[in-house]
Amino acid sequence: MESLQNIKRRIKSVKNIEQITKAMELVSATKMRRSQEVALATRPYVFTALEMLRNISQSVGEGELPALLVHRAVQRTAYVVVASDKGLSGSFNASVFRAFDAFLASRQVDVSSESSIFVAVGEKARLHLKKRTQRVDRSFIHFGDYTNLEEIIPLSEYLVSGYLEGKWDKVVVFYMSFRSALRQEVLLREILPVDPEALERIAKEIIPESGRFAEILKEQGVSFFAGAPQKDAEYIIEPSPVRALELLLPHLVVTEIYHIVLEANASEHSARRVAMKSASDNASDIGGRLTLEYNKSRQAAITRELTEITAGAESIQ
Amino acid sequence: MKLGVYSLKKIWYQGEAQAITCQTLAGEITILDHHRPLISVLAPGMITIVDRQKKEHFIPIKSGFVEVQQNNESRFIID
Repeated sequence: MESLQNIKRRIKSVKNIEQITKAMELVSATKMRRSQEVALATRPYVFTALEMLRNISQSVGEGELPALLVHRAVQRTAYVVVASDKGLSGSFNASVFRAFDAFLASRQVDVSSESSIFVAVGEKARLHLKKRTQRVDRSFIHFGDYTNLEEIIPLSEYLVSGYLEGKWDKVVVFYMSFRSALRQEVLLREILPVDPEALERIAKEIIPESGRFAEILKEQGVSFFAGAPQKDAEYIIEPSPVRALELLLPHLVVTEIYHIVLEANASEHSARRVAMKSASDNASDIGGRLTLEYNKSRQAAITRELTEITAGAESIQ
Repeated sequence: MKLGVYSLKKIWYQGEAQAITCQTLAGEITILDHHRPLISVLAPGMITIVDRQKKEHFIPIKSGFVEVQQNNESRFIID
């Protein structure tokens, strides 16, 4: 049996761990809610932008589509992996990386060739890419707990300008999408060239499947797509439909990336919350067991002392 | 007319408005009730909104777009 002091010390450290993980759990829960709120706040903008896109594109002919909308033959692909900056978030990062590795393996992508470009978002993604591919073409780290629009713009500009300059013909993003607080899944999304239908899908996905915010849509009766299609409304478009479309598209890309990173943020916090919850549950389990052991060995020590005293007394007589 | 001014971060204005003045790439315009359907690209500057109480609201913008719909409804998306 371990010495009393030893057990006492272990109990103390387990209690400390429990306190810390409990605190982290609460903090993550709040952060998760906050990043959901930030994501929800983008909704009116996204819906309006999408409708504008649709209205403008009605006046633009097939042949004059801006480069961002044109699908060209894919020679080089840029892979963007979105993960977290910090660890202690359970299987969050590992599952993104697993999906990414599985994708590379299934497509037999040669990581050393020039035809793939790797971009990391988040410190952990950078480390993984470095290990996996020996090279990271660009990394964006420290986006914070809920990303800021100002931080997204450099990433988006990098991807868009690289696409326009022909450095790559396709951009694929791997990230953890947020379905609900308990369910997240790794998604693979092509963000360039821009696909309006994909944008629309994302816009609808802003609302999580269940949980606090799932109700909002019904409560407020928001229906952005409802009264929209007035087909024959002739718009005056300034400066010109093509130019307006060209200017609008980069904004939509920013929105899309912003949303992807926010969703990854929410998933990260939610994964961390779950991990911390099981950690603190575990700690309290171990704490209970140690206390029991402590009491037992205290009891044993007392019994032993008593026997010693009585044996001593008997020998004197 | 009904007006909504949205950015990615928040809703700047939502409600009734009498007149909106803004800079577009083609020059300064003022949108009044029953304007023709229009989509335009905004230039950096200030949007001035006059509401039903004749009160003025100012919103600074870096870039953005305006859409005036047929049903007397305007929407701005701004950065």
